[in-house]
Amino acid sequence: MAGKSGRTIANVPEKSLKKTLLCWEGMLVVLFILINIFCAGVSESYQFQNVLREMPKYLTEMFLLFPMAFILVLGEIDISVGATVCLAATMTCMASNNGLPFGVVILVCLLVGTACGLVNGLILTNFQELPPMIVTLGTQIVFRGIAEIALGSGGSISLTNADGFRMIAGKAGIIPYIFFVVIIMAVLFSVVLAKTTFGRSVYAIGSNRLAAYYSGIHVQTIRLIIYTVMGFMAGLAALFLTSVLYGANTTTGNGFEMDAIAMAVFGGISTSGGKGRLIGGIISGFTIICLRIGLGQINMNPQLILIILGILLILAVLLPNISSRLNVRKKA
Amino acid sequence: MKKKLVSILLCTAMVATLAVGCGSGNDSGSDSNTDSGSSTAASDDAGDDDADSGSEGGGSGTYAIVTKSAGNPFNEKTADGFQEVIEAAGGTAIVKHPEAATADAQVSVIQSLISQGVDSICIAANDENALQAALEEAMDAGIKVCCEDSKTNPDSRQVFVNQAGVQEIGQALMDAVLDISGGEGQWAVLSATSQAANQNAWIDAMKEVMEGDDKYSKLELVEVAYGDDEPQKSTDQTQALLAKYPDLKVICAPTTVGINAAAKVLQDEKSSVKLTGLGLPSEMAEYIGDDDDHSCPYMYLWNPIDLGRLGAYTSMALVDGTITGAEGDTFTAGDMGDYEIVAADDGGTEMILGAPFKFDASNIDEWKDVY
Repeated sequence: MAGKSGRTIANVPEKSLKKTLLCWEGMLVVLFILINIFCAGVSESYQFQNVLREMPKYLTEMFLLFPMAFILVLGEIDISVGATVCLAATMTCMASNNGLPFGVVILVCLLVGTACGLVNGLILTNFQELPPMIVTLGTQIVFRGIAEIALGSGGSISLTNADGFRMIAGKAGIIPYIFFVVIIMAVLFSVVLAKTTFGRSVYAIGSNRLAAYYSGIHVQTIRLIIYTVMGFMAGLAALFLTSVLYGANTTTGNGFEMDAIAMAVFGGISTSGGKGRLIGGIISGFTIICLRIGLGQINMNPQLILIILGILLILAVLLPNISSRLNVRKKA
Repeated sequence: MKKKLVSILLCTAMVATLAVGCGSGNDSGSDSNTDSGSSTAASDDAGDDDADSGSEGGGSGTYAIVTKSAGNPFNEKTADGFQEVIEAAGGTAIVKHPEAATADAQVSVIQSLISQGVDSICIAANDENALQAALEEAMDAGIKVCCEDSKTNPDSRQVFVNQAGVQEIGQALMDAVLDISGGEGQWAVLSATSQAANQNAWIDAMKEVMEGDDKYSKLELVEVAYGDDEPQKSTDQTQALLAKYPDLKVICAPTTVGINAAAKVLQDEKSSVKLTGLGLPSEMAEYIGDDDDHSCPYMYLWNPIDLGRLGAYTSMALVDGTITGAEGDTFTAGDMGDYEIVAADDGGTEMILGAPFKFDASNIDEWKDVY
């Protein structure tokens, strides 16, 4: 590839068909295709419209994946998002049951989520030496605690009027609305991470925070924005989850943060920061969802499905390690 | 540029495989179901078609039971009973455990069952209202829905198979008190909280039974104590009862926590007061026996296997159209006899399994490992 001046810039990685196919995302696509063929083979009911119909509940977790990818690329982690979803869903149900117009209810949901994210962001940017894992563990407990107090002794709340939420859970033809929202968000977040200055700054911070700081990147502003966006997306996830569950309870959103992290890591995004692309996370997200739907349809024991997913995840982090070791041996 | 092209190609391939999966799936769908309309029907219609194709087989339909969670011994026994009846009738029984004991996980399970086009779903709900969207979708797809063990709201079900008829429990417990006391004397109730709806209903039923017949006239209910379903408070309340009423003959605790606490107190103090009520066999095994060393001669709880069997008969009756889940419907549940659907307190309909199951010295060993 030649630069504008006609000189060859040696640093640009070589691009070839073989390399693209062999990159992590390429392999994920192949895996995705194989899993779909496998599922269609073992389950007669693994049909397009059925998969689409089952997908909305799983897709709610995808909303968390997008900002989580940013946070992982930063080299940080946010484990409070499941609790944020729970709190936002609880507040949404309360707002709706108090007779607020549906537009306001949506606003409440997104605001509660954003506020939770903002709290995380403010703590982490004002006290930079604190580890994000511990801070978000703390806020996780706090958010869930508030939700549990709000839910009261019954531990659950249901919508008295689910009309608005029925609309959200609706479909265009056979495609649920949530699908479109996920696609839009996927494109938006991918482009921001891969193609904008903001995205490059995130990689820079993840690779070397100090170097990024000295090269003039507003490290703390970027962190604050990302954590707040994480909260906003958790609110969005809560909105769609409420439209599936018509209510909230103390177990709402349990384990969502870990599912989102698993999708991202499986998609090749490193938890140590600076590496990976969101597109990988998105493909792996859909792969995991399809596998769960397919195996669910052949009535496999759910615990067995979890074991399979766990093994896949370990293999996913192991594989690059093994291949790099092999490379080292070859050279030696 | 090549790379972009390849990425686009790969993405197209991804979408294509999904579509191919759909295409081939649809083919097999329409093969088995030639009279179903076009294979590109909207999802609701597709659900209907699937359900129809299932029920075309007559008695050999597919009936699903959804438990609260894997490893819930009570639910496992219920599923065993369900499976036994369905398979004896030549049908296919699907036992589905959700990933976790949450309504959230049950929604995924229900969605999966809709895709599979089962004929009926019998579910022990983890949340009364949270399954409404999923179960409504199932019913729209022509799947019959009933609940057992723990109900959903009336909108999400056709009928509830209730294990605990208030009347039956009141009668059984009252007879137990009469029998254990020898026909006369003082007795007390150890309940959960004073607001617990089921407890109060059972206690009221016992009082009604007691007033309704002369044979109970020599029994004197001295107090209803509340242990709040906390072991320590239940223990304290039991000790208080013993101190206050030296002539007390029987304590009836219609709560699993209360009966367990009371059994320990009575047995440890070698009291002559005897105990009955509703308790878990696994917790109560060491206290059940006919001699003076044991504090509880016998107690009651429902039989999970029978519950599952009735759930199975109900599912089959719903699928073949014998019942619709409306009040007043009647059907025959195999060797379990005839059942009638009655109005439930929550505005829906239910049927009542029958008298609670008696656990005594003769069968407690067999049940203590069950639940």
